Amino acid sequence: MAIPAFRMHHPKSVKEACRILADLGEDAVPVAGGTALLILMKAGLAAPTHLVNLYGLTELRGLQYDPKVGLRIGAVCTHRSVERHPAVQAHYPMLAETHRRIANVRVRNRATVGGNLAHGDYRLDPPAPLVALDARLKLYGPDGEREIPLAEFFRGYYEVDKGAGEILTEILVPPPAENSRGTYVKFVGNAAADWPILGVAALLRTAKNGQVDDLRIVLSCVAATPLKVSGLDKLTYGRQLSPDCIASVAEAAATQAGPIEDARGSTWYKREMIRVHVRRALEQLSGGSGG
Amino acid sequence: METVRQVARPVELSVNGQRRTLFVTDNTLLLDVLRDQLGLAGPKEGCGVSACGTCTVLLDGEPVSACLTLVAQLEPNQNILTIEGLSHGGEPDPVQVAFIEESAFQCGYCTPGMIMAVKGLLKENPSPTDAEIRDYLMGNYCRCGAHTDIIRAVHRAAEIIRHNPA
Repeated sequence: MAIPAFRMHHPKSVKEACRILADLGEDAVPVAGGTALLILMKAGLAAPTHLVNLYGLTELRGLQYDPKVGLRIGAVCTHRSVERHPAVQAHYPMLAETHRRIANVRVRNRATVGGNLAHGDYRLDPPAPLVALDARLKLYGPDGEREIPLAEFFRGYYEVDKGAGEILTEILVPPPAENSRGTYVKFVGNAAADWPILGVAALLRTAKNGQVDDLRIVLSCVAATPLKVSGLDKLTYGRQLSPDCIASVAEAAATQAGPIEDARGSTWYKREMIRVHVRRALEQLSGGSGG
Repeated sequence: METVRQVARPVELSVNGQRRTLFVTDNTLLLDVLRDQLGLAGPKEGCGVSACGTCTVLLDGEPVSACLTLVAQLEPNQNILTIEGLSHGGEPDPVQVAFIEESAFQCGYCTPGMIMAVKGLLKENPSPTDAEIRDYLMGNYCRCGAHTDIIRAVHRAAEIIRHNPA
């Protein structure tokens, strides 16, 4: 399969990349691992005449963890580098597990975290757990640097809050709260590496007596952007995650979602699956058997 | 929209231990260079979207899809290994031996990619379980359905390597 002709630019810095993108306007697109963009170009859905290679920019690489500051992921870190990083495995097991389950190993060796987020596809895995973890993004553009919550970055189908000439540079994840644990349930119907029908990220913080302090649930594949289930405090704060409590949360998630239908499930089916998989995620977190 | 005139530029690549200087346009994929310019027909085009694994090669020891890798994004010091570069002094690699001994193929189309993926797996996990093999190879399709034999071949390759450490 041939790729339409384009010219590749190799900037030496983020600043230079940003200037090239701003100068060339909408004919130019930044590229990192290319695993999403090249598929669109092969399919004739995108035909940028200029690509700006961010892959080689060392400024955008590197993954650091500091117990006080949290995790900093350079935008062109590959999914594999996140999944295998000892600090991610130790302090953000949900994030390591989520990255381990993206596509297949070849994609994970090339595709990057920043590229994944900037692609804005509602079925991608990392957005839901990162939103649950209160991740923030740093962007650099013609007007300088800005930092925004990841949740506000997603605007719609393949639409993100990234202006002309702007480059996503860093993903910042706050330090994990004490007594918190999370899980990401990826529900896939066909081939193992197919797009999921549903993704459920659940993050639970408990008090010493095991009562719920804070519960967050973020769903993917059900709306144009990651859907954070609201009103969970009222249902769970100060309670044990009993079967009744879990059922009420699963019901709230299913009711709020009003899921969009796609090739992998009708609205009715996805709603039923939300009920099942939110329950399973919470059973896992509460130490229950799941099932 | 402006049209782009394609200009072939020289790039330096290291393929199967040999340094090569090639002339490629910016939209050239690694798979096309390997097959059409270097005559390495082991990696094959299957799906063209990094789903099926028939084009698997190792880039600095890690499996990648040559069908979705732009040559223009490779660094001159990166090493590309295809199935053609696996044998040592005419002797097949332990993974190749294991695939032959277990007859882990039928038509053979997926085999070069499958073997390169197994190289990547055994490098990071020298004694994988069945589940770990399935998980790692889930993106390498065998449409003949030789998976059971392939899993046996991976165990045998691991055993051969354990008994003959490099």
